[in-house]
Amino acid sequence: MITYLKRAMSLRIACAWLTAGAAVSPCAAWAQQIPVGVTAPMTGALSLTGKGYVDALKLAEQDINAGGGINGRKVGLSFQDAQASNGTAINAFIKVVQEQKPDFVFLTSYSTQNVAVGPEVLKAQRPAMYAGGADIVAEQKNPWMFRIRPSDGLTAEAMARYAHEQLHSTKPGILYIQNDFGQGGAKAAQKTFAAAGITVVGAEAYGQNDKDMSAQILSLKNKGADSILLFVYPQDGALLLHQIKLLGLKTPVVSSSAAFVPAAMQLISPDDLQGVYGVVDAMLTSQPAAQSFLKRFKAAYGVDADPYAAAYYDGAMMMAQAMRTVGTDPVKVRDYLRTLKDFKGVAHIYTFDAAGNGVHDVSIVKFAPGTKDMQLIQQITSK
Amino acid sequence: MQQLLQLLVNGVALGSVYALAALGFVIVYSATGVVNFAAGQFVMLGTFFGVAAIVQAHFPIALGYLAAVIGMALFGVLFFLGVHLPLRKRPVVSVIIGTVAIGIVMQNAALLIWGPWPARLPSPFGDTAISIAGAAISMHALATIVITALLIAALYALLYRTGIGRSMRAIAQDSEAARLIGLPVTLTLVVTWALAAACSAFAGLLVGPMWFADVNMGEPVALKAFAATVIGGFGSVQGAILGGLFVGLVEILGASYLTSTYKDLLAFGVMIAFLLVRPQGIFGERIGDRG
Repeated sequence: MITYLKRAMSLRIACAWLTAGAAVSPCAAWAQQIPVGVTAPMTGALSLTGKGYVDALKLAEQDINAGGGINGRKVGLSFQDAQASNGTAINAFIKVVQEQKPDFVFLTSYSTQNVAVGPEVLKAQRPAMYAGGADIVAEQKNPWMFRIRPSDGLTAEAMARYAHEQLHSTKPGILYIQNDFGQGGAKAAQKTFAAAGITVVGAEAYGQNDKDMSAQILSLKNKGADSILLFVYPQDGALLLHQIKLLGLKTPVVSSSAAFVPAAMQLISPDDLQGVYGVVDAMLTSQPAAQSFLKRFKAAYGVDADPYAAAYYDGAMMMAQAMRTVGTDPVKVRDYLRTLKDFKGVAHIYTFDAAGNGVHDVSIVKFAPGTKDMQLIQQITSK
Repeated sequence: MQQLLQLLVNGVALGSVYALAALGFVIVYSATGVVNFAAGQFVMLGTFFGVAAIVQAHFPIALGYLAAVIGMALFGVLFFLGVHLPLRKRPVVSVIIGTVAIGIVMQNAALLIWGPWPARLPSPFGDTAISIAGAAISMHALATIVITALLIAALYALLYRTGIGRSMRAIAQDSEAARLIGLPVTLTLVVTWALAAACSAFAGLLVGPMWFADVNMGEPVALKAFAATVIGGFGSVQGAILGGLFVGLVEILGASYLTSTYKDLLAFGVMIAFLLVRPQGIFGERIGDRG
């Protein structure tokens, strides 16, 4: 009897121990993860590109963890929806920082949101990578923020230089989206033209929700523009290229990169691309380092990756390298990134300057007549 | 002159779309007293029904458009049965909040079903542009104006020349009295919601080839249609049409000749001025004059 009771007690204790162990294990595993926060537009007007880099970051997470994680610890991404306004972007950042206590954060690719979130990044003191291009973001001199795309100043300068030097434009017009990105790009382009002694004939703006830009296009036509520079987001970029052709303009167009991401290109016909030149972050299809990434992204998500997705993938790999080298202490990771040079990513070779800009080159492209095949004209590196 | 002609055609085409969307507001408001804040999402859904039929299921364009309109009309019926009917005895503000909530659900459901990438809805008229007095005029824009005019004529005939139209107008004036004299109120309301949804479908199918279809397109349309309704007069079919055309022309001409940066300020500024000076709009009836 006593033996039986001892056995039963032992059995109960063993069961309780096993149950507790099973309950503790997932918690223990979670506690071993390195928390990384991501704020991206997952719904709303900006989710067009947001989904791309959310998927790219998930792919990066898989690759990092499959490769042994960070010194044996897995990376765990937590996503918050930044939607389409500055207010929601700020709230998303604050939420992810307060709830997940991440060692690193990825911000959105929209300059206006990056500017708005900057002060919160400074308060949180976490390294943050972003892909908004407006120069004003870096001008805030936030030591915690790192840009993983070319700056708009570089893009705008390349666009203006190409229009002037190669297309021989002497009466350029500018059409831009009315926000930090568009205004910044337009100003930078005007400055580049002014340095060459050229006055822009007109600079017309449109709102993010505008769908009919015929008034702005015709205004530039009326003012005699012999080239049109576009600073656009993907969907409105595609719309503008279409409307320019529909209104019968044959003026050469030089557009910023968003008009050529896959989400926009599937809206555009070959006719819409006649006489159109693009300044893109990177022509991924021509880069050997990008081929494996492009293939795996397409296999995983069924759509082509765009340069934004590639940039965030590279960002995650840089974060992983930093953490493997110096650990997860945010200050050490920040300091490591600030001195990072010649990191070979799938989209670019990254070197961060004093302002936190990691990319210093863009590519100028055109399209084979009657097709949507992108052809590289030249790569431009900032001086 | 060329530029003015192009701008006028674009402005009237844009205004026609706003007019159709505004008619969706007015038809429902007239019969039920409810402002349907999901009207913009009805337009969006109409566009995506077209995408589903033509782009995804590869229907011929004409058949795809017909299927989209019928599909939206059925959706309107479902909306009435699922949202308006259960809430009809509640305060009207509850129904209005219900439409706001369903609008959000519709937008996010569309995002889940069709994803964030926009789609290009083909026009039956292709991308053809014709030259008139040296101006390149889009065939689709011209067709939008003509089709809207025909739809408005058909709607007018329905409302003023048919029994169901008379019932709709009677219910709009006094639904209880209409019920007492034996009019089929519930059936008429079903027709009302189906008609409003069909108008929205036409708006979406006409605007889709011009704007591309995306799940966020409903809100800007709804705002402009609402402004058109306020300017024209809530409850007035003529007001919705005139208001829509007015908003479209102000937007395009204002952007060209005044300011592209603040063009929305022009249309909404006029709306605010009407609210202050003549809140019933151009054609709206004062409540004291009704019944």
